[in-house]
Amino acid sequence: MIDLVGRVGRWALEQLAAALRVSVLMVDTIAWLVVAPLKGKGFRWRSSVEHFVEFGVRSVPIVGMISFLIGVIIALQSSYTLEQWGANRYIADLVAVSAMRELAPLMAAILIAGRCGSAITAEIGTMKVNEEIDALEVMGVNPIKYLVAPKFLAMVVAVPAVTALAILVMIVGGWVSAVFVVGVDTEIYITQTLEAVVEKDLMIGMVKSLFFGLAICWVGVYRGFQVEGGAEGVGRQTTASVVTAIFLIIIIDLVFTVLFYYV
Amino acid sequence: METEEPVIVVEDLQVAFGDRVVLDQIGFSVQPGEIFVILGGSGSGKTTLLRNLVGLMRPRSGRILIHGKDFTAMSSDERMDMRRKMGMCFQGAALLGSLSVADNVALPLREHTRLEESTIDIMTRIKLELVGLSGVEDYLPSELSGGMRKRAGIARAMSMDPEIIFYDEPSAGLDPIVAAGLDELIRTMQSTFNLTSIVVTHEMESVKIIADRVCVLHKGRVAGVGTLAELEQSDHPYIQQFFARRPDDSDTADTAYARSLTGID
Repeated sequence: MIDLVGRVGRWALEQLAAALRVSVLMVDTIAWLVVAPLKGKGFRWRSSVEHFVEFGVRSVPIVGMISFLIGVIIALQSSYTLEQWGANRYIADLVAVSAMRELAPLMAAILIAGRCGSAITAEIGTMKVNEEIDALEVMGVNPIKYLVAPKFLAMVVAVPAVTALAILVMIVGGWVSAVFVVGVDTEIYITQTLEAVVEKDLMIGMVKSLFFGLAICWVGVYRGFQVEGGAEGVGRQTTASVVTAIFLIIIIDLVFTVLFYYV
Repeated sequence: METEEPVIVVEDLQVAFGDRVVLDQIGFSVQPGEIFVILGGSGSGKTTLLRNLVGLMRPRSGRILIHGKDFTAMSSDERMDMRRKMGMCFQGAALLGSLSVADNVALPLREHTRLEESTIDIMTRIKLELVGLSGVEDYLPSELSGGMRKRAGIARAMSMDPEIIFYDEPSAGLDPIVAAGLDELIRTMQSTFNLTSIVVTHEMESVKIIADRVCVLHKGRVAGVGTLAELEQSDHPYIQQFFARRPDDSDTADTAYARSLTGID
């Protein structure tokens, strides 16, 4: 029993220490992103743009394809129930609302976590193993400024941007199966979609995706800096990075969903 | 030489990982413009000492004075400034893998100065020329041989014209010819720019060529400091053993092994 208490206690302390390290990382990143450029210490815009291309633009094909298919699937699935009430026109409502509030942000975030969160961890982890992080530090170049801040900005812009695109593609996917498979009129689909959508839905999706972006980036970076002991360590932390990021994405999703349920 | 104010003074340094003390009662001073070698076997704590000297680790106690200022007690801004006067060559060169050789050498200049890109370009070429690497500017570090990578690492360490340069195991993993070339380069750098150089190594061969003075580390303590000739006269058993390249007596080695297993002295 005492053993169990001890173990739980130690685990809790470890988590607390990890949370502390993550907070320090967060504060540092924000400082290098917001405060340092004002003090004339510079920000690596070019690197940030390059990372935006990697995280955002290069994610478009896969996120687009998956979103399209999910749109097709939801439309068909909802028709299964709605048809019984002769309410197939409401497929449009269902697709649009669920895409905006839930599925597009979630899909985009999970795919970007898999593509880019892991890449961030692997990059930073490999640099740590090769003493490249130490080299930066010895050269008087802050690794947070040099490596993290540009990625961070790129990520918090890329995830919402890709999400917006995913929403659009998902609705198109829904339209394809509603019109060509179920047989809903295109005009009805469009009016239903426009009627169903309110600003708040879009806002919820965007706010969520912003926080998903934060989570992906910080988890990726944190795991990267945690790497110890060679290539094996890089592999282990990279896997952990994706798992942790997806877990956090779901938790954030839950928190916001509950929050917006009451607001 | 001895009358000049030392560039680096280490006073009673103690470094520990948790309960395990890896460096204890370390003290020495480095004179300006000399090549000071930190010599020791595997596990003697020499790399840890180097990491403390460049500020990558904090000691538990003791002081490291660089130009008379305590490096361990500086604010992080002050330390960043101080580091611009120091260069370090890592064991594996630690060039950034995503940047070309030229971009690696130019990195400190781009980060710390507001020089024109054309000026940086020229300075980069000069530094690469200096270490005998011209014509590989656009290569990635992974496309270079081990020796070339180390030379590029030295060029990068030199890019801000430092006053002090640190080398971590410069000849590790290189064949004797390439290693000898690096020894020569270290000598040239020191004599051309009057660079204070600190070299961590375990290679007696290169110590004989480059060292002005040597500090021998043994089990986390200083076994002796002095010129090679002075140390050869030393009666410290470890120094004699190291210089004679004699293995541990199998008897004592066995007891040491048993001690390390049981943890009993």
